[in-house]
Amino acid sequence: MNVLIVEDERSLSHEMEIYLTRQNFNCDVAFNGKSGTDKVLTNSYDFVLLDLGLPDMDGLDLLKDARKKGSEAAFIVLTARGEVEDKIKGLDLGADDYIPKPFSLAELHSRMQAILRRKHGLKSNTMTVADFDIDISNRTVQCKGQTINLTKKEFDLFHYLSLHKNRVLTRTQLTEHIWGDVLEDDYESNYIDVHVKNLRKKLSAHAPIDWFETVRGVGYRINI
Amino acid sequence: MGFFEKVLFKKKVPTIQTKFAIYNALSKSLIILSFMALLPLIVEKVVYDHIDKRLIARTERILLTVQKGGIDDIVLEQDCSFESYSILKEEFVAIYPILDPRKMPPSMEIKNEAWQIDGEKMQHRIIRRPFTYDNQLYELNIGEGISSIEQLKSTIQRFSLIMMIVVVVISLFIDLGFVRILMKPLDKIMHKKLQPVPSPNNFDFTPIPSTTHEFNKLDQRINEMMLKLRDAFQIEKEFISNVSHELQTPISIVQNRLENIMIDANLSDDVLVRLSDSQRTLNRMSKIIKALLLISKIENDQYLKSEEVTAINILDEVIEDVEERLNQKNIKLIKQFYEDFNIKPCNRTLLYTMFTNLINNAIKYNKEDGSIIITTKFIDDVFHIEIKDTGIGMKKEDLPAIFDRFKRLNTSTAEGFGLGLPIVKTIAAFHKIDITVDSEPAVGSTFDLRFDDVKI
Repeated sequence: MNVLIVEDERSLSHEMEIYLTRQNFNCDVAFNGKSGTDKVLTNSYDFVLLDLGLPDMDGLDLLKDARKKGSEAAFIVLTARGEVEDKIKGLDLGADDYIPKPFSLAELHSRMQAILRRKHGLKSNTMTVADFDIDISNRTVQCKGQTINLTKKEFDLFHYLSLHKNRVLTRTQLTEHIWGDVLEDDYESNYIDVHVKNLRKKLSAHAPIDWFETVRGVGYRINI
Repeated sequence: MGFFEKVLFKKKVPTIQTKFAIYNALSKSLIILSFMALLPLIVEKVVYDHIDKRLIARTERILLTVQKGGIDDIVLEQDCSFESYSILKEEFVAIYPILDPRKMPPSMEIKNEAWQIDGEKMQHRIIRRPFTYDNQLYELNIGEGISSIEQLKSTIQRFSLIMMIVVVVISLFIDLGFVRILMKPLDKIMHKKLQPVPSPNNFDFTPIPSTTHEFNKLDQRINEMMLKLRDAFQIEKEFISNVSHELQTPISIVQNRLENIMIDANLSDDVLVRLSDSQRTLNRMSKIIKALLLISKIENDQYLKSEEVTAINILDEVIEDVEERLNQKNIKLIKQFYEDFNIKPCNRTLLYTMFTNLINNAIKYNKEDGSIIITTKFIDDVFHIEIKDTGIGMKKEDLPAIFDRFKRLNTSTAEGFGLGLPIVKTIAAFHKIDITVDSEPAVGSTFDLRFDDVKI
């Protein structure tokens, strides 16, 4: 998978590069609009992570230009200019997703995987975690053929942890994933613990889940 | 409208037009009344002046006749006196010799007196004039009846009164019409410039034409003040927007770096906990910036308002999402959805944020095993959503400040950054929803949302 990161903040693009390389992506970087445009038109990328606030041009123009010239890469727009959110959504410029800064790398990764599933219509839209089968398109979880009745948030939580298995996801990361769209006056809630408690109860009724670990003071991990 | 504006403008006072009308009616009535009181006196004065002149002229004529032709031609009676009157006894002339000089009247006097003619007493205006003829003192009396004068007086009075009323009524209408025309610019200023506007950006700066200096000045000054206000708002909003933007990038860098460090398997548990704490702190900072940016964006009209949603729909959606939170504290949520309302146009995401914050507050500040009642209904044709909790409540004196940014009440033990209710208030204002709160410590709080300005 080839990824182009168009971001003028070098530290930021560096961190993204480190993370995505670890996830087995081939990363290429561009620090301004001109070099970004050149790279998009020359090479073939699966993903373009595009910052809107580029020093030499508006990121949206790069996107329009690339689409006009037939680029088939999936564009994920990254921006701190929250004010254009509505516009991007409204203009339908051909971006595949939009992530406001600051974002979590885990969140970026899961969005990229969602796009992959959508774009390439992966044959198997299911994931297996121990005895459990997660059907991502139908949003159901089964254990030995038996469907487990999860709430929307419990499913999201299980799916997100499974996507990043063998890695700790902090409460902050999980809260952002589950409740990120709604701005609430609450930064220290233990609602995630409640969701996890309920999720564990439902899963353990069907099979042992000793792989579902709590990392004290940090968060949770699916360790398989 | 803020709390203080409400207090200040609560008292209804009459408009300037009403005051002018009342003043006009009163002053004109006063004129009519004083005219009615003075009219008899004026008429009397005019009529008597007229009669008096006539009487004096006659006196002069008679005295001239006496001087020329002698008195003997006139005085025929034995006692040297003379009396003559018209058939209707309306006029008379009488001459008497004055026998006792001490009883001589002053040079000339005119007064009203009852005069006896043929045994019948009648009111007359009488002139009394002494004169000497042939060393004999005489007194000349000429009288004119005044009973007809009373009649004349009342005729004139009636006629003038009708005239007066007609004139007053006409002038009243002219005055009112004039005041209307004169006050028209003020009326326009009232309707176009002094209506509550959500932000100075929505203010209409078109000058209101007037030929009156004061109104021109007023209009000009209002425009100037609103311009200053708009600029101040603009600067504040741009500042918040720029600062938020500039801060989000460094936060992004640190956040992503933390994430990359935490993936490293060789970290000790202690370091991991501390890193995750740092991540939480950073997230808190980012949320504050996001909240400020959200408020500033809404106030800057940068959100679209093109969707529609029914009240029950969005409430149900939020309630479903907070179900686990309710269960955690064993709080019973009672839906009293009597009536529904289509909120249109709206921004669904913003409304979702607003209701989540309100209901989440009702959970957060509630007691274990408490309850929340959400009521939707029309009161006097206005749709209301009421969210009532059995929580810790707030003191009355704290209520006016709860929607202010960064105001956290001392009573609160829950965590937050004090921007939840300001966000609620801003989203409500964006949708023209009037939000009020009533609360009692240890009993609970009730938030009431009125949709009176939202078009159905």
